[in-house]
Amino acid sequence: MTCNLHRLLVRSSAIALSVMGLSTSAAAHFQVLYTPEMAPTRGKATQFTMVFTHPVHGGPHMDMGQPEQFYVVSQRGGDSEPKRTDLMEYVKPIDWLSNKKAGGGEAQKPTKAFNASLPRSVTRSLGDHIFVLQPAPYYESGEDKYIQQFTRTIVNVAGVPGNWAEPMGLPAEIQPLNKPYANWTGGVFRGRVLADGKPVANAEMEIEFINHAPDQEGNRFADAGEVELPQDAYGTQTIYADAQGEFTIGLPRAGWWGICALAIGADTEHEGKALSQDAVLWVQVKDMK
Amino acid sequence: MRAHNIYTSTFLFAALFFTGSFTATTAFAHSPICNCYNDEKDDSKVVCEGGFSDGGSAEGVGVKILNDRDRMLINGAMDADSTFTFTKPDDDFHIIYDAGPSHQVIIYMDDIE
Repeated sequence: MTCNLHRLLVRSSAIALSVMGLSTSAAAHFQVLYTPEMAPTRGKATQFTMVFTHPVHGGPHMDMGQPEQFYVVSQRGGDSEPKRTDLMEYVKPIDWLSNKKAGGGEAQKPTKAFNASLPRSVTRSLGDHIFVLQPAPYYESGEDKYIQQFTRTIVNVAGVPGNWAEPMGLPAEIQPLNKPYANWTGGVFRGRVLADGKPVANAEMEIEFINHAPDQEGNRFADAGEVELPQDAYGTQTIYADAQGEFTIGLPRAGWWGICALAIGADTEHEGKALSQDAVLWVQVKDMK
Repeated sequence: MRAHNIYTSTFLFAALFFTGSFTATTAFAHSPICNCYNDEKDDSKVVCEGGFSDGGSAEGVGVKILNDRDRMLINGAMDADSTFTFTKPDDDFHIIYDAGPSHQVIIYMDDIE
C-alpha cells in the first residue's frame, strides 16, 4: 500500500474539486525550507522560510510546531573541518497565508510557519552550507499519526564545494549524489536514502515541484501555479529507491523540487500515535540560457 | 582535456583577463576561486578566502596586494585554512589570488564588502 494512500488528505477534497475537477486528490506533505538562491556568487544575508504544505498545489498548509532544531554545517573545500552553527535564535513564528486556489476558492485561515533571517556572517564564507531543519512532529488527524520531516537545503557560495555529499547521520536523510544547488533543466538528480547513516532499501519516495512561487515578504504562495496538472498523479511523483537505497529522478523544469523519503526513521511512535520520520531534500534547477 | 569553467561571483575572471577566452582548455580540472571581505572584528583588515572548484586546499597559493600602479604592497600566501588576512594599505589596491598561469583571480578594493 502506498503512502500516497496513507497521505490522502482530509482537507484535499476542496483542492481536488477546485483545482483538478476530480473527486479525490492525493498530495504529499512537504516541509519547505526555502531561500531564493541556493548558489549565490558571494555570501550575503539570507532569509529562510519554513512552511509545511503541499507545494505542487500551493496548499493547504499545516500548522507547524516550534522547530526542534535549525542549524547549518559549513565546509569550505574538502580538506577543512565542517563547522556546525546553531541557528535557533533566528527562528521566528509567522502567519503563512493561504493560496486562493489551494483553499478551494475560500481563504484558509493563516497557518503557523516560521522564518529565519540570517546575517551575512552565516554564509559569508566560500563553500557548502548545509541547513538542517528538524521540525516538531506534526499530528495529521486524517491519518491519526505524526509526521516529522528532517529537511535539508544546501547553499553553496561561489562554487567552492564542501560537504554536500557527506552523510550527516540523521535519523532520516537523503544523501545527494549530485550537487543539489547546481542542476540544469533536463538533467537528472541522484541520491541515496539513509536512516542513521545506513542505506534504506526500496524506500518509497515522493517528488514535488514548488508550483506556486513563494512570496517571502507576503508570507504566501502565488495564487497561480506555473504548471497545470493533467491529472493528479502528476502532482506527486512516486518512486522507489533501489536495493542500495539509491534513486535517480529527472528535472524537467527550472525551479525548486522537493524529494521526500517516507517513513524511514527508526522512531515509529510519538505520544502514543504512529510516527513517520521522513527525509526531505530540496533541489534547485535552472535553465541553460 | 576538460573545458575549464572559470567562474567566481562578481570578481574578474582571471583566465578571461589573461587569455581572452572563456573556453581555454587546460590540464587542470579546477578553477581558482577567491573571496575577500572586511574583517568584522577589525575594520582595518581584509580577510581573503581561497579555494578551487574541485574543493582542493588553497594552502600556499600566493596572494599579492598591488596598488593601481601595479607596485607590490604586500606579498603573501594562503595559510593552512586557505585564508589570508592583511591590513588595508593606504593606497588604492587590488588583490591577485595567484594559483599559477591562467589561474589568477583579481579582486578590486571596491568589490570588498
